[in-house]
Amino acid sequence: MKLGTEGARILSLLALLAVIAVGFHIASGGLFLTPRNIYNLVVQTSVVAIMATGMTFVIVTRNIDLSVGSSLGLIGMVIALVQIKWLPGDAAWNWPLSILAGLACGALIGAWNGLWVAYARVPSFVVTLGGLLIFRGMAFETAQGRTLAPFQDGYLVFGGGIQGAIGESASWMVGLVGVALYAVTQVVAHLRAARMSRNEPVRRRVLKVLAVLLVMGAFVWIMNAYNLPRSDIGRGIPVPALVLIAIVLMMEWIGRATTFGRHSYAIGGGMEASRLVGINTRKTVFFVYVLMGVLAAVAAVIATARLNAGTSSTGELLELSVIAAAVIGGVSLSGGRGSVAAAVIGALVIQSLDSGMVLVGASSSMRMIAIGLILTIAVFADNQFAREAKE
Amino acid sequence: MKRRTLMGAVASIAMLGALPVAAQDGLTVAMSWANYQEERWKIDESGLREALDEMGATLVTADAQSSNSQQAADIEGLIARGVDVLAIVAWDSEAILPSVQKALAEGIPVIAYERQIEHPDVFYVAFNPIEVGRIQARGLVEVQPEGKYVLIKGSPTDQYAHYVLTGQKEIIDPLVAEGKIEIVGEQWTEGWVPDVARKNMENILTAVSDDVDAVLASNDGTAGGVVAALASVGLEGIPVSGQDGDIAALNRIARGSQTVTAWKDARDLGRLAARVAAELADGTAPAEVTDRVLWDQGPKGEAQNAVVLAPVAITRDNLQVVVDAGWISREDLCAGVTEDAPDACK
Amino acid sequence: MTQPHLVNMQGVSKSFGGIHAVKGIDLTLDAGEVVAVLGHNGAGKSTLMKMLAGAYQRDLGDIQVHGQSVALSSPAEAHDLGIETIYQTLALADNLDASANLFLGREIAWRFGPFRVMDQARMRDQTAQVIARLNPHFDALDVPCRSLSGGQRQTIAIARALQFDARILIMDEPTAALGPHETAMVADLTRRLKSQGLGIFLISHDVHDVFDLADRFIVMKGGQEVGSGRISEVTKDEVLGMVIMGRCPAQIRPGPGASMLDEHGAQT
Ligand SMILES: Nc1ncnc2c1ncn2[C@@H]1O[C@H](COP(=O)(O)OP(=O)(O)O)[C@@H](O)[C@H]1O
Ligand SMILES: [Mg+2]
Repeated sequence: MKLGTEGARILSLLALLAVIAVGFHIASGGLFLTPRNIYNLVVQTSVVAIMATGMTFVIVTRNIDLSVGSSLGLIGMVIALVQIKWLPGDAAWNWPLSILAGLACGALIGAWNGLWVAYARVPSFVVTLGGLLIFRGMAFETAQGRTLAPFQDGYLVFGGGIQGAIGESASWMVGLVGVALYAVTQVVAHLRAARMSRNEPVRRRVLKVLAVLLVMGAFVWIMNAYNLPRSDIGRGIPVPALVLIAIVLMMEWIGRATTFGRHSYAIGGGMEASRLVGINTRKTVFFVYVLMGVLAAVAAVIATARLNAGTSSTGELLELSVIAAAVIGGVSLSGGRGSVAAAVIGALVIQSLDSGMVLVGASSSMRMIAIGLILTIAVFADNQFAREAKE
Repeated sequence: MKRRTLMGAVASIAMLGALPVAAQDGLTVAMSWANYQEERWKIDESGLREALDEMGATLVTADAQSSNSQQAADIEGLIARGVDVLAIVAWDSEAILPSVQKALAEGIPVIAYERQIEHPDVFYVAFNPIEVGRIQARGLVEVQPEGKYVLIKGSPTDQYAHYVLTGQKEIIDPLVAEGKIEIVGEQWTEGWVPDVARKNMENILTAVSDDVDAVLASNDGTAGGVVAALASVGLEGIPVSGQDGDIAALNRIARGSQTVTAWKDARDLGRLAARVAAELADGTAPAEVTDRVLWDQGPKGEAQNAVVLAPVAITRDNLQVVVDAGWISREDLCAGVTEDAPDACK
Repeated sequence: MTQPHLVNMQGVSKSFGGIHAVKGIDLTLDAGEVVAVLGHNGAGKSTLMKMLAGAYQRDLGDIQVHGQSVALSSPAEAHDLGIETIYQTLALADNLDASANLFLGREIAWRFGPFRVMDQARMRDQTAQVIARLNPHFDALDVPCRSLSGGQRQTIAIARALQFDARILIMDEPTAALGPHETAMVADLTRRLKSQGLGIFLISHDVHDVFDLADRFIVMKGGQEVGSGRISEVTKDEVLGMVIMGRCPAQIRPGPGASMLDEHGAQT
């Protein structure tokens, strides 16, 4: 089968990831490819990766969102304020309500950006640069810069800490159900194709299912191999990883299967054409920002649960990691090209470099240099690649 | 220290109250704020105003709103008003020098408040940032005199983080040399961001297989990240330091997951400035001011007269101090405290 | 009273800033008729047609379709009235493949919560069918339009207009990117569609392209009408004269865009 360009890009990113992983494994004396480090990596990546899925859409429509770090900070403070200060007592529904408030706040932030970009036609760079300042300032104002803590125990599950994984047997269950669902979709797709008298080889579908089975099995096995402290009970899949997987599946589906996703890509590939064929381009761009805001809220839940505190500086500089993840993942800043999955791998690449450098004892300045270099080289390689693909 | 510092209602600790102050009828002290919008300066001002009121002196202020040129204009205006002493929170400690020269030329004593202005004739009053580092290190060494230490440093681009580190090293280095303490990992924390601190701590824990006995975190925000990382591997409760007296950090101290925080009550600094202003206006030579030291820790290393205030080490044993000061309510301090409550929560 | 015109434009005007791109144009179209819209580059042809396609909103004038005044405030509204357009620029999203472009904005989809889920298999099959009718050699269904030839891209744009049961078809310079063979194919297609009862506006800056296909014509210059009439009333050269110099032959009533002869016989 011929591999699409996006497939080839993902494979080369995975190869880069493998090189980084093996390199650091050797350099750190065997610390990198351990269940513990992989568990940490997945959790550490989740916040940036979740926002990178939304950023993919933003950049695909030929826009940018510089405000995501500040949005995360503001949403985190709103969640903390609602959960810790506003809702009385210690009721069980306090933390779910605070998450709802956070999601609503995220949607509002996205709507704010979207209104200015899509309807008022102010360049997104300017709008979201403004947002970066506005939302950070508001994050500070919500509690006059104070740190709000502690959260309710139920909420901390989202942080992936000691209470934040689902345990061994539940992890196997999730893995099995996941593979089974995937197998079902493949069967359905096969039957549909057959009905339209377009027969694709069954072997390919079986191979796909087997590949998913293998990856899923390995993932669950690794997560279960990292034990709770001073015990031999495996932790299982961390909740932030579950959230991330769910978001990636949803965003991939939106991008590939829905009209909203298709229109987003069309707008990035030809704004004028999209308008002429009757796409409501403003509405589409508006909702891309709303989606980004909601994803920032999901990321905010994980970020604040990880720290067990709402601080007004949460998410500072995160916009840079999020944009870098998307760009390393091959999302084109000139619009119309890129995939959610690749952006998530881009986030993994950045976090692997970051964590790996700490494992080998390198300083933060060295980490900045390494990530900067990878960013530049990745975009260069991708451009070469795109040029070849075109010729 | 946080970049945007502390807020909240503060009452006094009677620490400087012991000094006798002469009546200063007619004395006018000027304060040029860099950016009064930041909550913390309101706390400083309440201390300053209170102390000046007691002396019968007057306070006039101006707010430069984060602008060099505005601050220069403010200072010119204050000089023209004929104030007796000029205190400055410099927005830009270099750009302010011409204005400072002007005031000095008029014979007005100049006090650099909290932010150093490196000029031999300027009097500097501030919390001692190096002492912050010392307090943190002493707090840990007291409970963990030997073992494996991790340093979670502040933002590498912030001079303040380097001062704190200097203080930490002063205490730690001899013990490292004796072989009692081993530093098994250290990382800077860009922007003092707690989540960055948490990631770094997690990765250091991986690198040393959880073999850590104490963590020198440079402020309460990063300490929060460190404690979260420790909790996730079951190490919550090992000694951790901080600074600022954050509500969350004080709560951690009450719950036993943080050891010490270096607390700076901004009111004290305001009171101190009032007292120094009064002495200078009285004609006291700068070198004769009570508690005066020679400060030469600035980037240029020039010596100048200063009074530096020691922050207060807050530990489990003296949490009552912050409650009495009105810094934190007992509910906030003791939230979630169950067994083994500190005295302040009983 | 006779049957109302399929399209009836009266006094349609549009300006961009200070430029009067289209000024007071009257034009009709009936079913089974091809009307050529001629004029130099910049004469206002595309602007006029984009108003009918709902892509631009007119400043002045009235447009009736089937005798009903219509707002035409969006391309979607024009689509609903059976107006399809092959744009001069083709209006393709270069990063998407043929099927995505064909159904762009009008995907076959069903509702699912806030989303509409596309039936990609069906869209792909229908694309393959309609394109096969136009160009049996077209096999690049799965590649982004950016890597297709000019002719292939034009094929997709034409296929899109045919896919949705047009009653009024606007073809804006449809042969600009095509070779002689493909141009002939478009001419065949035009005749076939006309015989099926479509009304067609055929836009060109080149008189030769359309002279044999059109029933009637209008020539525009500087946004105004130079003159209009039946192709049978005029020769190619006369139309050329109208396009190039704005000179109306005697049998055609001059429009506001026609140039007057001064006493020396020179054009003004
Ligand atoms: N979107 C637009 N904005 C500004 N000017 C335009 C726009 N579209 C067309 N014009 C101007 O209107 C005039 C007519 O253009 P057009 O309709 O494209 O001519 P034609 O299709 O006959 O070559 C030209 O002067 C052109 O520059
Ligand atoms: Mg044109």
